[in-house]
Amino acid sequence: MVRGAGGRTGGVCPYPMRRYIARQIVQLVVVIIGISILSFGILHVIGDPVLLLLPQNAGKEEFERYRHLLGLDRPLYVQYWSFASRAVRGDFGQSWYGNAPAFRLVIERMPPTIYLTLAGLAVALLIALPLGTIAALKRHSFVDTLCTMVAVAGQALPIFWLGIMLIIVFAVQLRLLPASGYGTWQHFLMPSFCLGAALAPITMRLVRSGLIEVMSMDYIKTARAKGLLEWRVVVKHAFRNACIPVITVLGLQFGQLLGGAIITETVFAWPGVATLTVDSIRNQDFPVVQCAVVLLALLIVAVNLLVDILVGFIDPRVRAGA
Amino acid sequence: MGRAVAVVLALMLVLGLALSGPVQAQTKEDTIVYSLQSDVDSWDPPASVLREAIILGYHAFDHLATRDLKTRRVGPNLATSWRNIDDTTWEVKLRQGVKFHDGTPFTAKDVKATFERVLDPAKKMTARGNHAKIKSVEVMDDYTVRFKTDGPYPLFVERLTAQVMQSEKVIREKGDQWMGENPVGTGPYKLVKWNRKQDHLLVRNDDYWGPKPYYKYLRVRIIPEKATEIAELLSGGVDLIKAVPPDQMDVIDKSGGARTASSPILRTAMLQLDQAARGGPNPFTDRKVRQAANLAADHDSIIKHVLNGLGDRVATGINPMAFGWDPSLKPYKQDLAAAKKLLAEAGYPNGVDITFHEGPPIVEPAIQQTNDAIVADMAKVGFRVKRVYIGDNTVLVARTKEGKAGHMFNWSWGYYSVFDADAILYDVFKCGESYSYYCNKELDDLIATGRSTLDAKKRSEIYVKAQKLLFDDAAYLYKWGLRGVWGISNRVEYTAPADEVDRLFLATPRKK
Repeated sequence: MVRGAGGRTGGVCPYPMRRYIARQIVQLVVVIIGISILSFGILHVIGDPVLLLLPQNAGKEEFERYRHLLGLDRPLYVQYWSFASRAVRGDFGQSWYGNAPAFRLVIERMPPTIYLTLAGLAVALLIALPLGTIAALKRHSFVDTLCTMVAVAGQALPIFWLGIMLIIVFAVQLRLLPASGYGTWQHFLMPSFCLGAALAPITMRLVRSGLIEVMSMDYIKTARAKGLLEWRVVVKHAFRNACIPVITVLGLQFGQLLGGAIITETVFAWPGVATLTVDSIRNQDFPVVQCAVVLLALLIVAVNLLVDILVGFIDPRVRAGA
Repeated sequence: MGRAVAVVLALMLVLGLALSGPVQAQTKEDTIVYSLQSDVDSWDPPASVLREAIILGYHAFDHLATRDLKTRRVGPNLATSWRNIDDTTWEVKLRQGVKFHDGTPFTAKDVKATFERVLDPAKKMTARGNHAKIKSVEVMDDYTVRFKTDGPYPLFVERLTAQVMQSEKVIREKGDQWMGENPVGTGPYKLVKWNRKQDHLLVRNDDYWGPKPYYKYLRVRIIPEKATEIAELLSGGVDLIKAVPPDQMDVIDKSGGARTASSPILRTAMLQLDQAARGGPNPFTDRKVRQAANLAADHDSIIKHVLNGLGDRVATGINPMAFGWDPSLKPYKQDLAAAKKLLAEAGYPNGVDITFHEGPPIVEPAIQQTNDAIVADMAKVGFRVKRVYIGDNTVLVARTKEGKAGHMFNWSWGYYSVFDADAILYDVFKCGESYSYYCNKELDDLIATGRSTLDAKKRSEIYVKAQKLLFDDAAYLYKWGLRGVWGISNRVEYTAPADEVDRLFLATPRKK
């Protein structure tokens, strides 16, 4: 993996990095536009929102009047254009249900989801780093097999099931934790474990395979030959290289993590943006769905950009545009 | 690694900041916690179509009239009395000494402003359809209002229970968006804080004109997942949940911490048959085929064995709690021989093919299992049923409106919470209405007369005739009236409401 060790001496080369970031930002804009068109199209295909907005006894004229009020009687491209031209100024319109700006509704709900995903990430790392390291250092031993078993089992557990089981054990039986909700640190424990447990196995396997590969490299032998303590060899020298694929995959998994957040938020009544998005899709609340989709896409793309930059700092070959 | 540690520490710091929640002054003893599966979209009830908004509306606001949960009759509330001046004029006297949460007294001008706001076509008020028969509202003096209606309007008083009274001053000064988040009513609770999709905190209105609630605080939590809701009830996090699935009743009853209670609710389930041929010619245009279908199903044993007894048999679509219900009319009883004979007479001695559009299990509990049982019964007499599952209620509703729901389909009707036969007859049985697959001139005449008659006794007679007609003609395959199931914490005394509007201000601690 780090065979072309010559790259390590390539030094800091700011221009390719800057060009790289610029390229990523252009891609980001393209992705956002693409996603907004796609979600706009899908929303308009899946049904007529007015059927849900009005009571069942509303007459035909009432439906027509409402459709007109919401501008749904205009051609699709006109609707998209009016949405897009306002959206670039941060105005996503009013929620059709909440009588509040869509942007505010989405932004209000962002922090709980971000905290939950970060906590989930932290849990995943807390599980994966030590287990992966032990598994790598004690390769093919009983401990390694055990860690692999834990990983496979963890990956096989549906978040939904795990969540309900945690609630039954820790809230209903032991009465140690609140069953659901948001607000105190106790509320974080079960949801973040749930989310983290789903991400931990893949991370652990990556740490393990990364470390195994790195540990057989020449520079590790050199480090050992210098007489360094084994833990220093692992922590200071091996880890840096082994964590590159881990960070990359975690970045890619961020979207998955948000997907898992939908289930976790539902099970634990977590007031996040994931459930808001699903509810709004169900209600066909176009402005909120559009706003949430665009902001979430922005978040995912931004995280991936951040990961790329981070990897660039750790791995000079990326920086050099290799 | 030092960097990794720093990252983890930073994460923890961020989380720590996030976790410093609001300081809560209330204690467990003076707080009652209620849970809803989805949040309201607005605290402005006439702007919402959701039942949750109606329920919360009852806590912060009052209505001119309200239903007595024991007698199920509509009685005075903010209105003390009402009478007809003539066929199209109602005079309503208002309660004195009532104050809004902001201290302004409640008077006739608030009633006028409330109705005018709802009826204004330029406003996007979803409740407008409920009151479209009202032509104008006149202030006679501070505590007397006159309503002019478009023709005789016997449902006037019923409908008064569906409109919260809002403040003229707030309507004039604050506007719709503000009202969506700041309820200023005259109700028993005042809103303190609303965290969207998370919870609502309400505090007792100590200046309330009526009996004051026992619990000082009411917390309404939003818990989308039913299993979590039940776990919260069992672990003491929530005191009251609704819509408990029949198969979970045992879990709650045996927990020791909570119990279930059920109540008949104002919703009738049926299988609509396309008598009106909205989807083209089909076997159900023949009365004998419809009667055969009604005679084939053994609803009594379905209610007993599949629904755990959570259903009340009905002879037609009219719910036993609705005004006009005829108790003397007995429902169809299973008679396979008679059903077979009728089918043969209709020209189907070797059976008949029909399609059945099945709805998702949202409104009716155990809908799939009861459908299985009905289809199996129908097969015994020669109905070969092709089942088409529609997993999305919106799709079923849309298809029904467009006349594309097929020969037979799942349907249930909640009467818009109006306890009157007209509330189902007009929408579900009248020729040409969106949800009606039945067309009969004779019935239409009865519906029209019922709507324009103010005399309760005469109206009642009209609906007895209508029910006889619907029964004999077997308009649809009639099933049962639904029952709601509530889960109640053992620390709370609470009676399940027949109108599905939970009133937490009536809850008290349970006597030991």
